[in-house]
This record gives sequence, structure tokens and C-alpha cells, in this order.
Amino acid sequence: MEELKENKAKELIKESKPKVLIVDDEKGLRLGTQRLLEMEGYHVETAENGTEGIEKGTNNDFDLAVIDLKMPDIDGLQVLAEIKNARPNTVCMIATAYASYDTAIESTRLGAFGYIPKPFTPDELLYNLQKAYTQRVLMLESEQLKKEREANLLELANERSRLSTIINLIGDGVLVINKQGEVVYRNNAVFKNLNIVEAKNNKELLSKLPDKIIDLIDNYLGSDELIKKSYSTQIEIIHNELFVEAVTSPVPNPDGSLAGVAVVIRNITELKKIELIKNQFVSMVAHELKTPVAAVLGFLKIIIDKNLNISEQQRNDFVSRSILRLRSLLDLVNDLLDISRMELKTKQREIVTLDIKEIIKSTVELLEIEAQKRSISFNLVTEESVPVIKADQNEITRLFTNILSNAVKYNKEEGSIKIITGSNENYLIVKVIDTGIGLKDDDKEKLFQEFYRVKNEHTRGISGTGLGLTIVKQIVDSYHGKIEVESQYGEGTTFTIYLPINNNN
Amino acid sequence: MALIAIIDDDPDIIEASKLVLKSHGFDIITASNPDDGYKIVMEKNPDLIILDVMMDEPDDGFFLAQKFRKNNVKTPILMYTSVSKTTGYDFGQSDMVPVDDFVEKPISPEELIEKVNKLLNKN
Repeated sequence: MEELKENKAKELIKESKPKVLIVDDEKGLRLGTQRLLEMEGYHVETAENGTEGIEKGTNNDFDLAVIDLKMPDIDGLQVLAEIKNARPNTVCMIATAYASYDTAIESTRLGAFGYIPKPFTPDELLYNLQKAYTQRVLMLESEQLKKEREANLLELANERSRLSTIINLIGDGVLVINKQGEVVYRNNAVFKNLNIVEAKNNKELLSKLPDKIIDLIDNYLGSDELIKKSYSTQIEIIHNELFVEAVTSPVPNPDGSLAGVAVVIRNITELKKIELIKNQFVSMVAHELKTPVAAVLGFLKIIIDKNLNISEQQRNDFVSRSILRLRSLLDLVNDLLDISRMELKTKQREIVTLDIKEIIKSTVELLEIEAQKRSISFNLVTEESVPVIKADQNEITRLFTNILSNAVKYNKEEGSIKIITGSNENYLIVKVIDTGIGLKDDDKEKLFQEFYRVKNEHTRGISGTGLGLTIVKQIVDSYHGKIEVESQYGEGTTFTIYLPINNNN
Repeated sequence: MALIAIIDDDPDIIEASKLVLKSHGFDIITASNPDDGYKIVMEKNPDLIILDVMMDEPDDGFFLAQKFRKNNVKTPILMYTSVSKTTGYDFGQSDMVPVDDFVEKPISPEELIEKVNKLLNKN
């Protein structure tokens, strides 16, 4: 076993050629040792006195040094001290004929690895140097490890500060609670998302957390077994202004036990606002759908009720009114489908080159009968060369049908509708000027809202879904155009529609 | 015979309710907006008011009911509601909603007559 180790050490020395410094004033011994060691594979340098020994030993990184204790100029112990000071990893041996207990202690204290009594046999020297070299290898390894550890610690510190910077940059609040229920980490967003203005320390922060979050945390801390699930809860922090969602997750130790709880607090105010708008829209749609259904059901119940005993004429009247209501319900459903298709952008478009004059003309023809009933006249004024546009024919037809049918519906008896088409550099411009009932400023703002219908003494008896102009606006917007409205209450309304001209081809 | 005021902006609902109530011998006056509704109630002093919750604006019926109560009109009010249940807008009886009972649209003639009789007999 011991022999095996020795053989290994010998091989190692042959391979790595350790650098040895021999400091001895005795020339014969110096040269003899040098020759012996070089044969064994060492790289040897020599110094003939203490001064030279210090010079060589401090300027070069020797693996090993063998220093004679008694030299004429400088004492071997001082040489040892100087070399150890400059090169702590050079393994030094003291060689002496005057071995004494005191010098042994002193040399060990100064960092000598061993003590070789003189005179020594070659074997004794080689044996000691092998041991010394093994020591040298260990020392270098340990130094390497130390350096690596320091580098790792630095890296770890950098990593932590980087991570902390990242977590602080996240808009979501991040909070970590340990098993003892203490806050051990929190980023700045925790304060913002929970509207906590001040907390002097983590303890105060804990006392300011909403009960709902505390309850979730207690769930984990109070359980004997590790709860692996995440929980979430929504909390209204400021009424109607700040909503957050808190998600709690367990933080396990490597052995599977609970180390703590992580809480992520996200601001979901915008989401809640959209939810509210959606709910309002759904409730409006429900109301608009239910109104005609309720009316028709009312009529049908009357018709079927034998006790009421209505006349033939009344029955016919109720049936035709029911049909009207159902037609308007169908219109409403179609409008709603159009709106949702346009919003989802699932509507199949067929983009073709369109002559806007033709579309307006055919729309006017369609509305003429209705207009004539109330003696309303159309007046179409078009520029000689109106540019063509590229668009879906159905959509553009729908746009002008909605605008022009409004111009008829909300016009006065014997009123007029003037349509002027023109253009500038970028837009095809269509003005629709009616002499109708006009709009109040309040109504102008809400005109394009879903289901908004102007209600006053003039508009009673005018039917509609309240979606016509919403659809117009959506179509115009989808072609990157714009629509403007000017109106004088009681005088009339002018809609100006701008549709971009495609100049590219 | 008792006089009932129906205030609703849907002429078809007015027509149907009127027919049902008339067949049970009630006298009916009607209005299709909150202003006219207020007027006919002040002028004719009916025994019962039937009021639609949503007229021009979603809460018109409520505001009118509150206006009646503020001006010391103690006539019982039966309110027609439409989407209250589906939208979670469930009204209980409170100062905010000073009405005596509700009928959910579409209106069933039997339920309407039953509720009308109940409210009229209370006084």
C-alpha cells in the first residue's frame, strides 16, 4: 500500500518535473544533491548562500525548497521566513546538522514543512521531497478550490442582485413568506398593487396585507402536509379603481417539506373594466332582444285567451304588429351578427374596385318609395371624375344604406336629402345633408354607441335597432377612413364620410 | 271601478296590458314616457301605477317611482322589469326602489291580474 503510494508519487514527479531550490553554502552537497534530484526528474536550481537563496526563492515560484540552517551570511530560518512570506505555497524543508528542539519548533512556526537531519542519505532526501511535493500539490489544489469558491460566491452575489433587480422590475408584486410566517422577500410592486403607502419593516407590511391573502398563506402554513396546489383570489383594493389577483404557491425544501409561500399580486383593473363593459353590453343586448319577444308573447297570449273575446279586427291588428316586432328582432339579430363578425374580423371580404356613384344611386332608388311617402326628395351632386375605391361592395352598400335610411327616417315631411361626392388628395368624400330633426350636442357624442337612439318628441314612432351608426362607424374605421357629424337641432344633420383612395395601383 | 295608469315606452306592451286589464273591468290611462306619466298620475290620481323600469334610459322607471314618493304620491306601484334577473340586477324592496311589487316581462295575464288585485286590496 505504502509502496504503491510511493510509486505513484515517483511517477507524478517524473511527469510534472517539480522545481526545487537548494540553498546550501557547501558546494559539494549542493552539486551532489542537484545531480541526484535531476536524475529523479526534478528541475533543480541552487543558491550558494542565504542572500542568493532569498533572491531566487522570492522571485520564482518553486514547488519545493531545501534550506540549510547554518549559512555564513544569513540564517536559514530567515531565508525560510522570507520565502514563505513571498511564496506561501512553496513547500520548504530545513536541512541541518545541528538539529535541536528549539530550531525545529521555530522552523515549523515559520512555515517549514519538515526537517531533514544532516547528513542524509539519498533515499532519506528523496522520501522527504516526495512527501513535500505531495503537500505542494494539495496546497495548490486547495488554493484553486478557494479561488473557485470565492468566484462562486461573487457570482452568487451578482446573481442575487441581478435577480432582485429583475423581480423589482416586474409589474406584479412578489412576496415570499417563510415557514414562521415572516416576510422574507418583497419587491416594490407589492406596495403599489396593494396600495400600501408605507410599511417601516416587513412585520408592518405583513400586518397591512389584505385578509384574503393572509388566509391563503395560513392555509399552507397551518397544514401538516405540504399543499402542492396554487390558490388565487381576486381582491378589490380601491373600490372600482384597483383590482388585484393574488396567486399563492408553496415553496418546498429539497426534502419536500414546506420552506415558505410565494405570493404573486397582479393588477387586473383593466381586465375588470373590460369585464364590466362586456356585462353592460350583454345586458343591453338582452334587453333589446327581450323587448320585442315580450310584446309578441303578450299579443299571442291575448289572441289565444278565450275569455278576452277580441274582435276579428283586433286579432288581425295584433298579428300584423307581432310580425313587425319579429321583423325588427330579426334586423337586430342580423346587425348584432355583423358587429360581432366585424369585431372578430371573421367577415369574408371581397375587395373590388367600386364606383361609389353607382352604389349611392342604387341605394337612393331603394329608399325612394319610403321617401316619397313623406314627400322627401333626393338631390345627388357628383364631381365629374370621382375616384374609384377598393372595398367590399356589401360593406360600402351597407354603409350608405344605413346613413341614407337614417336621413329619410329622421327627416321632416317634404324635407330633402342632398348627397355631394368629391375628393381630395387622399380621400373620397361623401357629404349627406338632411333637413331633418337634427341633433342636440349630447346626442351627437353618443350617436355611434351601440343601441343609442335619440329619444325626443320627434323620434317617437321611428323604429330602429340602435346599431345602424355603430355599424357605419365600424365599416369606416375598418377602411381607415373617418366620419364626421355636424348638426343643428331642429334644422338638420350633415354626415361627412372620408374613405381613403388607394393610390398604389 | 279602480283606475290604473300604465307607463311604458313600448306601445305594444301598453296595448296588451290595457286589453287584459280592461277585460277584468279596470279603467286604464296610459303614457309612453316619464314626463307624461307623471302628468297623468298627478291629474287623474289612479288607484295603481304600472311602471316599466327601462324607458328612454335604463333607470327611468326607478327615477319616476322615486319622484312620485318624494312628492307624496302613495299610490301602489307595480314595476315591469325585463333583464333584471339575467344581469344579476336583482332588486329587493328598499328606499332606493320604492315600488310595491314586480312583474317580469314577458307578462303573463294571470300573474298581472293577481298582482294588481293584491295591491288594490291592500289599500
